[in-house]
Amino acid sequence: MKFSSVRYLIKDGFKGAWANRLMSLASIGVLIACMVIIGLAILISENVNMAIGNLEKENVVIVYMKDYNWALYGDELAVNDDTSSDVESGEDAENVEDTENETASDENAEETVDEKDVPDENGIKYSDYVIHNEQEAEKLRADIAALDNVAEAVYISSEEGLENAKAQMLGEQADYFTFLDDAYGNPMSAAVKVSMVDMSLFDETLEQIEKMNGVDTIQSYREIAQKINTLKQAIYVAGFWIIAILAIIALVIVSNTIRVTMYNRKLEISIMKAVGATDAFVRIPFVVEGLIIGLISALLSEVIIYFCYRVATEKIKDVLGSVISFREVSVYLLLVFIAIGIFAGIFGSFIMIRKYLKREGSEFTAI
Amino acid sequence: MAEEQLIESFADKKPAEPVIEFKGVSKTYPSGTHALEDVNIRINKGEFVFVVGSSGAGKSTFMKLIMREEKANTGYINVNGYNLTKMRRKQVPLLRRTMGIVFKDFRLIPTKNVFDNVAFAMHVVGESGREVRREVSKALSKVGLGEKARSMPRQLSGGEQQRVGLARALVNAPDLIIADEPTGNVDPNMSYEIVELLTEINKRGTTILMVTHDHQLVREFKHRVIMLDKGRIIADNAAGGAE
Repeated sequence: MKFSSVRYLIKDGFKGAWANRLMSLASIGVLIACMVIIGLAILISENVNMAIGNLEKENVVIVYMKDYNWALYGDELAVNDDTSSDVESGEDAENVEDTENETASDENAEETVDEKDVPDENGIKYSDYVIHNEQEAEKLRADIAALDNVAEAVYISSEEGLENAKAQMLGEQADYFTFLDDAYGNPMSAAVKVSMVDMSLFDETLEQIEKMNGVDTIQSYREIAQKINTLKQAIYVAGFWIIAILAIIALVIVSNTIRVTMYNRKLEISIMKAVGATDAFVRIPFVVEGLIIGLISALLSEVIIYFCYRVATEKIKDVLGSVISFREVSVYLLLVFIAIGIFAGIFGSFIMIRKYLKREGSEFTAI
Repeated sequence: MAEEQLIESFADKKPAEPVIEFKGVSKTYPSGTHALEDVNIRINKGEFVFVVGSSGAGKSTFMKLIMREEKANTGYINVNGYNLTKMRRKQVPLLRRTMGIVFKDFRLIPTKNVFDNVAFAMHVVGESGREVRREVSKALSKVGLGEKARSMPRQLSGGEQQRVGLARALVNAPDLIIADEPTGNVDPNMSYEIVELLTEINKRGTTILMVTHDHQLVREFKHRVIMLDKGRIIADNAAGGAE
């Protein structure tokens, strides 16, 4: 096809959209309605996903390490069975902490190395526990963080662990119970706080962590994780079907609008064919027209949905806590709209015109 | 694009004489109606032929077969050098570009002005903008509508609309013009003018095939007359002036 023909056909498409502006407006209206509904469905599901994502982040797993405290207080070894030495053990615990925190100092390190198999004052040998110092603790944390499904792995020292536990159990009154530390020492092992990327891989990820050397117990909220996972799946499936059904409805309505447009312009098509237009020549102006209508609809839908979303989020912000800002999704939405617009416009006219291209002369009047 | 290559390969093909040739052509519609039966006809280059006959005589089918809107069941048809019996669907636009068609109901695009309605036929064959402007102006002047180039079809009388149709048919300088009852929707004076215009075009060498019910016109203009009845040719008066 010659360049002058292509230029003429594109120009003709624009002219056609303007000349049949009433039908063009009807098509644009229908497309906008469909796009806005699809856009809102996307925004709602994105917001719900974000809310669930926040829940997931809070739903962490605590991995306790086999450190000195584990050896000292852990059930498996039960080394310290002398119940009368409460105060001492408290002091010992502090000593242990010190040792643990200061393993970098050569003196302690040498001492530990030299007296590897000699039980200390608490009867704990070097080989009784796995995580001997901060470097080893950090290595375990890094190993956990390196797992594919781990979003974040944060080291929690035994002091922090105790503080957290007290805060959780006792709330604001925790301060009244500081004497517990003084009296009994800190029984908490160092731990790693883990949050996951995909809750559906919860069990597999736990299994991987459990296998690591130095891991004692894992405190997890398996039931909550499963519930969140089920909820997420349900929202995903529901969202998919809602958007799919809406998209099908959009295509059906748009096809019907195009069918009416074609019906109104069957005379034009019959004349085109009578003067010797090829199928491509007949088709291109309609396709260009469809493209113009699709793109205009996409842009207007984006503007409409921006205002709708702004009004809606002002009202529901308090309920949801936080919402996705429109700027974050604007490009994605516009691309979705343009895709729908192009698909509906081009393919709609392309498919609908096929029926007319096969007809000849008087067959048009019989339609 | 294969279609374009096809168009180019056929573009230089000179039409062979005769312009229209039917040999033993029959057409039966799926409904069982025998529209044409064993039609043999030969129309040479430069002829002006009236096709007459009552309703249902087979005139429309005859025209449709020439335009390749319908396919014959049996027989051989050759139009402007194209063998229509063996023609593929993609070649049909090429055949139609060798002829100009004038319709009873004008068939102008209501959303395009007079100029664009005529120019449209030239754009279809891929003519450039400058050529289109020159030839469309010439064609409109020829039919006496040079002044109304910017008017919309609805602003014109029936006769004027038919003259736009005529300008569209002749703008590509075709070898053959097929006019399907071009005077059917216009007043008698205008009918006379239209046939006069066609006669003038014919004098320059273009073959004209015109279907009409108007016996007055047939008597007035002494051209060859082919009469159809019940799908058969019952008279072919080369001298003109048939009953």
